[in-house]
Amino acid sequence: MAAYLTSRLTDEADSALATNHDGSTLARRLSDKYSDRVATAFTVFGREGQFVPLPDNLPAGLSKALTAHGIERLYSHQQEAWEAARSGSHVLVSTPTASGKTLCYTLPVIASVLEAGAKALYLFPTKALAQDQVAELLELNRAGDLGVKAFTFDGDTPGDARQAIRLHGDVVVSNPDMLHQAILPHHTKWAQFFENLRYVVIDEIHTYRGVFGSHLANVLRRLKRICAFYGVKPQFILCSATIGNATEHAQALIEDEVATITRSGAPSGDKHILLWNPPVINPDLGLRASARSQTNLIARVAIKAKMKTLVFAQSRLMVEVLTKYLKDVFDHDTRLPARIRAYRGGYLPTERREVERAMRAGNVDGIVSTSALELGVDIGSLDAVVLNGYPGSIAATWQRFGRAGRRQQPSLGVLVATSAPLDQYLMRHPAFLTEATPEQARIQPDQPLILLDHIRCAAFELPFVAGDAFGPDDAGPYLQVLAEAEVLHQEGERWEWIADSYPANAVSLRSVADGNFVVVDRTEGRQTIIAEVDYSAAALTLYEGAIHMIQSVPYQVEKLDWDGRKAYCTRTRVDYYTDAIDYTKLKELECFDGSKAGEGSARHGEVHVVRRVSGYKKIRYYTHENIGYGPVNLPDQELHSTAVWWQLPQTVLDEAFRSRQHALDGFLGAAYALHTAAVVAVMAEPRDLQKAVGSGDGGWSAQVDAAGRGQIRAQDGGLALADALERFLPTVYLYDNFPGGVGLSEPLFRRAPELVTHALATIEGCECKAGCPACVGPVLAADENREETPRALAARVLRLLGAAA
Amino acid sequence: MSDLASRLAALRKQAGGRSPASVGADSSANQPGLSPNKVGPAPPESPMNRLLQKPGVDLAALRRMAGVRERLGQPRMPPRTFSRDVPGEEIAPGLRYLEQRYAWPDAPSELDLTFARLTSARREHVLHFDTETTGLAGGTGTRAFMIGAADWHDGGLRVRQLYITTMAAESAMLRSFADWIDADTVLVSYNGKSYDAPLLATRYRLARMTNPLTGLTHVDLLHPVRRRYRQVWENCKMQTAERNLLRIVREDDLPGSEAPRAWLTYLRGGSSGDLVRVAAHNLQDVRSLSGLLVEAHGWAALDARHAQEGSLHGNEK
Repeated sequence: MAAYLTSRLTDEADSALATNHDGSTLARRLSDKYSDRVATAFTVFGREGQFVPLPDNLPAGLSKALTAHGIERLYSHQQEAWEAARSGSHVLVSTPTASGKTLCYTLPVIASVLEAGAKALYLFPTKALAQDQVAELLELNRAGDLGVKAFTFDGDTPGDARQAIRLHGDVVVSNPDMLHQAILPHHTKWAQFFENLRYVVIDEIHTYRGVFGSHLANVLRRLKRICAFYGVKPQFILCSATIGNATEHAQALIEDEVATITRSGAPSGDKHILLWNPPVINPDLGLRASARSQTNLIARVAIKAKMKTLVFAQSRLMVEVLTKYLKDVFDHDTRLPARIRAYRGGYLPTERREVERAMRAGNVDGIVSTSALELGVDIGSLDAVVLNGYPGSIAATWQRFGRAGRRQQPSLGVLVATSAPLDQYLMRHPAFLTEATPEQARIQPDQPLILLDHIRCAAFELPFVAGDAFGPDDAGPYLQVLAEAEVLHQEGERWEWIADSYPANAVSLRSVADGNFVVVDRTEGRQTIIAEVDYSAAALTLYEGAIHMIQSVPYQVEKLDWDGRKAYCTRTRVDYYTDAIDYTKLKELECFDGSKAGEGSARHGEVHVVRRVSGYKKIRYYTHENIGYGPVNLPDQELHSTAVWWQLPQTVLDEAFRSRQHALDGFLGAAYALHTAAVVAVMAEPRDLQKAVGSGDGGWSAQVDAAGRGQIRAQDGGLALADALERFLPTVYLYDNFPGGVGLSEPLFRRAPELVTHALATIEGCECKAGCPACVGPVLAADENREETPRALAARVLRLLGAAA
Repeated sequence: MSDLASRLAALRKQAGGRSPASVGADSSANQPGLSPNKVGPAPPESPMNRLLQKPGVDLAALRRMAGVRERLGQPRMPPRTFSRDVPGEEIAPGLRYLEQRYAWPDAPSELDLTFARLTSARREHVLHFDTETTGLAGGTGTRAFMIGAADWHDGGLRVRQLYITTMAAESAMLRSFADWIDADTVLVSYNGKSYDAPLLATRYRLARMTNPLTGLTHVDLLHPVRRRYRQVWENCKMQTAERNLLRIVREDDLPGSEAPRAWLTYLRGGSSGDLVRVAAHNLQDVRSLSGLLVEAHGWAALDARHAQEGSLHGNEK
């Protein structure tokens, strides 16, 4: 309670700041008052809008509908897109967030429906975005009485509606997973739709990266194959957020040329950006205040200044904690409608829709979200965005900041650094964020195992004839492997599907396991489902004893039915929240192949990755003191996958390093550099290929701790010291983060010497002093003057592993 | 296999020589979290670019990786002697035809279809049909390898069956079956509305042929039987109806679920033994369909009589 009062007092102090403000004055006042916390301040200047009249060649009905809908002119990029689409090109629209990308494809699509009875397929990465889209189309439709039929087609579409959608849908709005599992394998039922398919619209293509993107590219190959069967060649209209290589990425996905539109004609105001480092509260230990406290402060000030504010947090738990703190200030009168709302995955769809509606209507003053709001969910415009921690990529940072800004008004964006080495590095070297280009999206659709999966699915859809290519390559060898597995039958020139199975069901485009958990509220005999939690998050948030928050209302999990995928909870009033303690370790199961790597070895094989939640901490609100632990007894999260790994014998390490701790730090840095090189080499997303450092015998695992040092966790989850270990055999693993593997690590093993050499070249060519996010990972300021820098230690490990200088 | 291996080696060579699908060609360091402090495209000869390389296809590796996921490869059956004889006459390459006739002088000339909420059908228009397929998975990957049809012809019941011994003969089979159907045909099946008819529609579509079943009256006996006997029998499978209504008990019947394996075995060069049993099973199915239809035809009259008797009893009271 004392803490709560203190926070109220701080609030009073802030009230000087809190009269009506816009982003510009608030940024200035904050910079003045907290100059020691603002590491960098800069402004991204806005631009005037460029408007053009509605094109003359729009169908009359559509012009009328637009006018009736309040759209009397277009932004210049919308007109460019209209013309490019009408000229028959594939189109990529890559303009900033909230620049009106939707109209870029709506115009050509609706025009072709009205003029030629043509059909269009829309693909969105999430169901929520698809539903938004249909709602918007229907509004325009109503405004002009156009008679265009638009439907969502997803896993929730009831069976009896599907037939009608197949026959009568002009615009079918779906997702890649449905196209892959439900539409293509049943294409004959969609014959009329395909025969008239003119446009395929794919929005948010920047989300289709790495393995997911490689899958989508192959699903599109299958789509084009089916289209060719029905004698059509649809045009693609793609949209992307700002990434480093939007055009190349679009072309890699559809394997064709695109006309790119990047110059937005939408007006925008100035964006005032602050990089905010929490103040040092303990100079002896170099401890800074938490990012959470600072985010809370900035959001509070902005909301008091009557600015609509969006806070991005990095985890669902942090969303709830920040929501609670803001609600304690702004929503203590529960009779009034909530001014602060939370938004994240794991809420029921109805809850999310309700929050979106309230945001659009302007009834919410502050919203706290995970990355779920990074995509184009329509929540209206905002004045301020606060990021609680660096989101991990430049592209995501700008996308989140892009959420702020109404028309010409100045807006505020604040990035609050956590104590993580990467965040702290950014504060010291802001050019990493401000001067570098956003990340590139990479895909590798010809990766053999992915190709095998999709050729399998494609053969189910239409037979292959000898010499048929799939993508750029001859499908022959793959067809032969599939025939050996007895799913295909070769007869003369033709390869026909023969197995009694439905291959698309066995191929998941995303690395998420099935089986959502439902959270059931049993308070006072109720039996209400209050949330759905995906499998991967269940162990971390639904253990018995967990405080599970929804819109910051705490429920305590009383019983978890793991097999039944249900968690039962009751409403509770406690002054703490819970945070799971988990760790990951890795064990070799089988070595397929090995070779010498310098003084050590490189190997490739099957591994077993275990993630265990060993317990949880109870953390008191406001003070954040740890007030207790609880045990968790859940099955391990297991992953069988394939990996490549490198080891050095203990004797070599003893000779080369002053201590085991030095060697361990070297391995962690080398793992970082190898991972970076590997991700590029196989065009993977970092999340698809994971790195780990652990003991070769699975006895312990190591991570970089908050102080930037390697930290060893023993088998039981407790901390251990390197010198106390009987055997010390550190190993760098790179493994496929997919059940069974997706074939990323096998080529890495074949190219192991090249990778090690490349990782070393990156480190040696880096301009940093002791280590940075571009080479061995971010290092703390204190380590920049260390006698043996993390950079030097990592380079030594790589040289021992045979890296040629 | 060595042929395949050499093709793969060639493929890999070819692949290695080409630049990857135009992605990231101008990337400088593709650091996940952050890009390095240098702005603008790196020179094309940067070490990162040399790293970018298309993966090769190594068949052995591919098999092994696929194996981690699936553990493929059942032990093969040892070779033994078996028959490859198949019944019937080959009417087109890979398409075989079988015909049987059964005397049935007193079949009703007009069939009362009120049990199916329809009016009636003339005997000569009725075509009972049933398919045997490669599985139940559904979608475009399941096909019919046998179609049986029964109709009243020349004062008896005629059963005609088509089946294919090569995949290429599918079009010929579909064409032959279409020839048995005209605009007046009334189809009779058991669960055919949900299963056989959509499956054939898919096959005709894939063969780019007009689906002859489109728009025809289709009497699916499953639904009326289920309405009438759901509370009475343990289930309403075709063979239950056949046993209870027609007093037919099959001997040595090959279960329908075995049909895919039987045909595949023959297709892959194995014994024809079970395929012959599939033909017998299919023959019995379509014969029973005609029996069940005549049985159902009688329901309306029977019910009317019962109603009348019921009301007579009522009057006596």
